[in-house]
Amino acid sequence: MKKLILLVILGLAGSAAAQPGSAAQPVAQPAAQPAPPPAEQPAPPAVPPVPKASAEELRKTCADAMNADPAFAKSIVETVDKQIDQKTIDAHNAAAAQIAENERHVIYAYAAMWILAAAFVVFLWWRQQALKAELAQLRRDLDAAAKESK
Amino acid sequence: MKRFTVPVLAALSALTLAVAIHYVFIKAPLQYSFTAEGMLNGSSLFFNQKIFYFHVTQAFMLFVAVGLAGVASAIFLKTRNPKWDDIAAASVDVAVMFGAVVLATGSIWAKAAWDTWWNWEPRLTMSLLLWLILVGYWLVRKFAGPSADRVAAGMAIFGMVGVPFIYKMVGEDSHPPSGMEGVVMNLGTEYKLAFLFSSIGFLLWFLTLVIVRVQGTRAEREARELRERGLDLGVLQ
Repeated sequence: MKKLILLVILGLAGSAAAQPGSAAQPVAQPAAQPAPPPAEQPAPPAVPPVPKASAEELRKTCADAMNADPAFAKSIVETVDKQIDQKTIDAHNAAAAQIAENERHVIYAYAAMWILAAAFVVFLWWRQQALKAELAQLRRDLDAAAKESK
Repeated sequence: MKRFTVPVLAALSALTLAVAIHYVFIKAPLQYSFTAEGMLNGSSLFFNQKIFYFHVTQAFMLFVAVGLAGVASAIFLKTRNPKWDDIAAASVDVAVMFGAVVLATGSIWAKAAWDTWWNWEPRLTMSLLLWLILVGYWLVRKFAGPSADRVAAGMAIFGMVGVPFIYKMVGEDSHPPSGMEGVVMNLGTEYKLAFLFSSIGFLLWFLTLVIVRVQGTRAEREARELRERGLDLGVLQ
């Protein structure tokens, strides 16, 4: 009888261990398999080609959208204002920098001044050299004439 | 001593002008001002004001040169001492150079400040006339024959008389007034120092040029006398 009870208990234990997911005997997990392909979705409806709108039409569309949604209108106005402000500031800064450092005319003026001064000095030197040569020649001629007359 | 006068003056002039350039471009701030409402004044010149230090000082040197030529010419006409004629001729030569610089730099400045190279404002017109008188002096000395020195002396005096008119005559919306209300008298310290060094530098430069040119006119006179002697002796044709 004892042997029968023992056999029944062992048999129950063995059948329990044979169950998958049993804590007593871990079962090897299968290797990760690639995700199965998603179930086929229905294709999105084709975007109809947007007809080229004229600037006037675009303006009208934008105006309509802004009229329809005050929040959208406000955000558009704020964005444009910000862009205009930045452009204005940039333009003013660029103009101020150009005026403040208008080097072109100063360079022209200084170049003109030094070129004229240098030209005058060269003229003086050239004239002085010519005069020296002329004086020497005249003195030689007069000395020679004086010697001949003696 | 005389031998070193020109090199010493030239060196001093170069040194002073170097200091002036340092003050003009490094020390002196950009010129601009605001109105009572805090708006930027439309007459602000910013970087273009740097032309002022050399344009105005050279205009003053032009006046000094013309004044010296006029006084020397008057003394020459009275005494007939050729030494004064040499000084007058040398001064006019230098004045022509300074006048050319003043007209050129003034025209460039006018383009920068008024957006025009030239307008017929009284001071500009008178400055041009003075310069033409000086060029006329040159031509008279060269082509007017034996009495050239006296005719030229008269022209130099005529030119000198015009200087006060140029100084005082100012048109509207162009040159600022002169005298005590003028720009020069009301400059800030840094601007004033730059202007002062520039003035001293150009005064020394003016003296250097006049001395060199006087030596030249004396040599010309000597050559003329030698030529006349040679012609008298029959050595020269």
